[in-house]
Amino acid sequence: MAPETVKNTASFIKIVALSVIAGAAIASRLFAVINFESIIHEFDPWFNYRATRVLASKGFYEFWNWFDPTAWYPLGRVVGGTIFPGLMATSGVIFNFLRAIHLPVDIRNVCVMLAPAFSGLTAWSTYMFTREMKDESAGLLAAILIGIAPGYISRSVAGSYDNEAIAIFLLMFTFYLWIKALKQGSAFFGTMAAIFYFYMVAAWGGYVFITNMIPLHALVLVLMGRYSSRLYVGYSSWYAVGTLASMQVPFVGFQPVTTSEHMAALGVFGLLQLVAFTELVRSHVSSKQFQTLLRTAAVTIGLLGFVAVVVLTMKGWIAPWTGRFYSLWDTGYAKKHIPIIASVSEHQPTAWPAFFADLHILIFIFPVGVLLCFQKLRDEHVFVIIYAIMASYFAGVMVRLMLTLTPVVCVAAAIAISTLLDTYIDPQEPESTEVAPTTTSEATGSSTAAPKEPKTKSKESKAPKTGLFGLDTRLAVIFNTFFLMLIFVLHCTWTTSHAYSSPSVVLASRAADGSSAVIDDFREAYYWLRQNTPKDAVVMSWWDYGYQIAGMADRPTLVDNNTWNNTHIATVGKAFASSEENAYPLLKKHDVSYVLVLLGSLIQYSGDDLNKFLWMIRIASGVWPDEVKETDFFTPRGEFRVDEHATKTMSESLMYKMSYYRFQELFGPGQAQDRVRNQKLPTVGPTLDYFDEAFTSENWIVRIYEVKPDDELGRDHKTANAYSAGKKRKKGRVARRRFALE
Amino acid sequence: MLSLRALWASLIALSTLCAATSSSGSRVLVVLEPALAKDSFSTFFNGLEARGYDLTFRAPKEERPLLVEYDVPNYDHVIYFAPSTKSFASDLAPQSLLPLLQKKTNLLIALSPTLTPMTSFAAEFGLVLPPPETPLMSHFPSRKGPLDTLQIPLPADSSILTSGTAPILFKGINFAMSPNPMLFPIINAPPESFATDTIKDDEADILVESSLKGGEGLWAGSSMGVVAGFQTKSGARVAWVGSVDVFSDKFVNGKLADGQKAGNEVAAQDIAKWAFQESLVLRIDSVEHHRVGETEPRETYTINDKVVYTLTVSKFVSSTSKWEPYSGISDLQLEFTMLDPHIRTSLKPVKGQPGKYETTLRVPDRHGVFKFVVDHRRKGWTSLYTATTVPVVPPRHDEYPRFLSAAWPYYAGAISTSVGFILFSALWLGGAVGEKTKQKTQ
Repeated sequence: MAPETVKNTASFIKIVALSVIAGAAIASRLFAVINFESIIHEFDPWFNYRATRVLASKGFYEFWNWFDPTAWYPLGRVVGGTIFPGLMATSGVIFNFLRAIHLPVDIRNVCVMLAPAFSGLTAWSTYMFTREMKDESAGLLAAILIGIAPGYISRSVAGSYDNEAIAIFLLMFTFYLWIKALKQGSAFFGTMAAIFYFYMVAAWGGYVFITNMIPLHALVLVLMGRYSSRLYVGYSSWYAVGTLASMQVPFVGFQPVTTSEHMAALGVFGLLQLVAFTELVRSHVSSKQFQTLLRTAAVTIGLLGFVAVVVLTMKGWIAPWTGRFYSLWDTGYAKKHIPIIASVSEHQPTAWPAFFADLHILIFIFPVGVLLCFQKLRDEHVFVIIYAIMASYFAGVMVRLMLTLTPVVCVAAAIAISTLLDTYIDPQEPESTEVAPTTTSEATGSSTAAPKEPKTKSKESKAPKTGLFGLDTRLAVIFNTFFLMLIFVLHCTWTTSHAYSSPSVVLASRAADGSSAVIDDFREAYYWLRQNTPKDAVVMSWWDYGYQIAGMADRPTLVDNNTWNNTHIATVGKAFASSEENAYPLLKKHDVSYVLVLLGSLIQYSGDDLNKFLWMIRIASGVWPDEVKETDFFTPRGEFRVDEHATKTMSESLMYKMSYYRFQELFGPGQAQDRVRNQKLPTVGPTLDYFDEAFTSENWIVRIYEVKPDDELGRDHKTANAYSAGKKRKKGRVARRRFALE
Repeated sequence: MLSLRALWASLIALSTLCAATSSSGSRVLVVLEPALAKDSFSTFFNGLEARGYDLTFRAPKEERPLLVEYDVPNYDHVIYFAPSTKSFASDLAPQSLLPLLQKKTNLLIALSPTLTPMTSFAAEFGLVLPPPETPLMSHFPSRKGPLDTLQIPLPADSSILTSGTAPILFKGINFAMSPNPMLFPIINAPPESFATDTIKDDEADILVESSLKGGEGLWAGSSMGVVAGFQTKSGARVAWVGSVDVFSDKFVNGKLADGQKAGNEVAAQDIAKWAFQESLVLRIDSVEHHRVGETEPRETYTINDKVVYTLTVSKFVSSTSKWEPYSGISDLQLEFTMLDPHIRTSLKPVKGQPGKYETTLRVPDRHGVFKFVVDHRRKGWTSLYTATTVPVVPPRHDEYPRFLSAAWPYYAGAISTSVGFILFSALWLGGAVGEKTKQKTQ
């Protein structure tokens, strides 16, 4: 065949392969839709979905200026200025485009399918990125790995309509463009990187990762003595355009020039100018002393700049690191200082099995790929190495950052596997008659080769000195690799369908006989609220359910998953931790009409409010240390109990009473059992004076209580109820009394 | 707002149709215990009928006519002249009266020294009754009649009672009052009066003894009430009278120590007028708010907007059975609150526009869900409460000032950089050409 035909056929196969990979990536994310339905998942996506609907129905400017009076009642939320609008804007554009070509798609389906669609793009961008690292075959391998890796699927199944859905694509594509800009020294690719960086800034708070990765890469290159005009052009064009662009996002505003998180990028930008200036002068001046002087000057200026940043931070001109940032370095920090961050399960340190569950064999191949990068160590390989180190650390600190680790693991593993296969599939045998080494040897040629075509090199030197003899060794390794890959695919499919496809709004349970049942208590309760309460009835619940109440029940909430106001959340925690008569004025002050609590005691749903109660107490006692004390809720032996040994504070707290109100009636006398905490409940259940039970869902997961209005006669409700129940009143004390002979 | 007005209009039409003088209806149920003859209260009952009330009489233990049917009250007002009845029919029992109060049925309840279900019911209203069988007595002024028939001068500054009315004759009990803001005295006991176990002076030792027992002291003095009013949260009125005899013909026609006729007839009607929503009845006709210079309310207000808030208040005039605009409230206040009042200002009556109260305020520099709250509670008067929720939002993206003087350094920086860039480019390009030509010539 003519080389032209080979080339055409190869590129055709490549396109077909990429399409199939994208198809597989999308298809494996559809388990959620097939097993359940086309529904928005979890918590945050409900807000994104609601915001997207506003964007789609009212247009961009209304969305930009959207003030949501129903969130954080009565503080309200300036939505336009407190979100990353990238996700909603993307869906809005797609929705409007589909409408323009007369495809009347429901906005919900656009939102549900957005994450799978973008996972296809992620596969493509990972292909592009890896191609820059090694070659096209490694790229295709990386594409299929990222396409089905559970670490990425966990946040991008159909219905998981969150910022991460598009952010990973943007992350990889920005990195690809940065590598391209660096390799070619191209201002065009630098600017393209900046534009996609802007898109990333508009889409996800994790953009800070890019903001620090690229400068770190540049800094390491400079320190390695690899400064070049390519680096200068690439970095400067990225930084200047990218920073200016990112400041256009209202939520980010002036942060790129005022907060510590962004100072590294600014500092490296300054350093590059200094280095560039030094290089310029050096190329014009020959005097050796002058060069030394210049270097000293450069170092001094660099140090001065660093000191200036420190001083500005101390003075408060530059905002210090935020708490979330500290919690990345000190895993105990959040628990001590910001319980609200520590209380989120996805902010916990990652357990070791999670790495295997999310990445399977890739986690073992990953170090090999990094090692291979060390072998070649071109500029772009330095990037992969830095990325691997940083992301590994972060993934170990926080479960949710497993997401940023997954792409680099896929890239490194693809490089490793591709190198392995290159070596073993390569049909050439060494010409020497010496006994070949049994260990794997390097197949590629000299490391000084041009970066663009690493693959052709092995063919240039027709007869390599080292290599493999015979077919059996080759086949053994190749089959083994294929077998591992096959296991990997099976594992990904299994994990995706079993662990990551639950919408968490709808729960699936399996009965003893194997039949599955759907537990739909959440929607049942939210729709009850929607249909049976006035439109302006404020619902109080723990913040986890804020977005869902707003999205599904369409009612104002006190707090929601956008945890911007710690005091307001602490107020809710305090209300739940207080006794009825203390909580009542607090609820009245906030115009609360309904209180919603979750109880898993009946069907062993462990994510209920009593299990979160300690966090509520902790958050509340952080604001009111004198009124809410954590120790009051523990028995003298330090146990958190709900049975008859529960402390008085515990059994009188609103949360306890609301959870177990009338719960005992479900069981025979003395039989009441809490199946989540495995404790036997007291025979006599709690009574409520200030609240009426309004709704309890089928499996008792969601319980809704109505706050009674003020008593008609101005009494407190305890007295009022006692009178209605016919109890005798203690004789009232007379305010003023007179004795006869006074 | 329109529907509210229509509602009011229909209500007014309804009330005129009934031709009653009360603002809330004319059907009165009188629960009269058999021991009391209807004729002995003829002046009081005739006075009510003359003012347009339909009186229905019923003994406490009779089953019919029902007070409430299908959760709808059949009567607008209930008079309890059953001071010594120990048990009531189920729909008349005190506990079933609480839901009735929520439906704005008014009560006039007479008490007596006897211990009845009404005694514990009174406690729910914050009345503290003296021990049973301890009627009120007083030695002043010196008079011929029995010591437990007092004559009580009426307060001079009362807005409920007609001023200048002669003292009333009273035979019953006094009571203490808890600091419940809904409860207020209409007539206080005379300073020299006290509750007593015996009205015979030679048995005074018993009184001293019993007053020392249990540390209760003597139920005496002018801080005790004999007639008290109570307005519930939803606006129903309850009048507690320590004596049923106050309304009787005997006392109405009775003579005081100075030979003057007792003021019971007028006072009894005044108490009934208040209790049956005839006097001191106010209502809010309309609430309006809009930005200065506009006429329609906005869905949201922007921070620092100037907003006009207008409230229209009417008062019920029983002589004409009409609602008339009322500008007589001098201490009306408006609060603009979010959790706490951010603004508290007085609503002044507008001159020349009766019934209208208006104020202009600047919305605070704070976004959130605010409420315009008017909460006016004065003893005896209908409490006025209205809360209007309005979100206050930050300015839209195009509502900020475009050029700020404080930003001039930034403008200067941007302009100088642009100019510098252009100059540099020009110099660079020009210099490059020069160099090339130089090289060529070389």
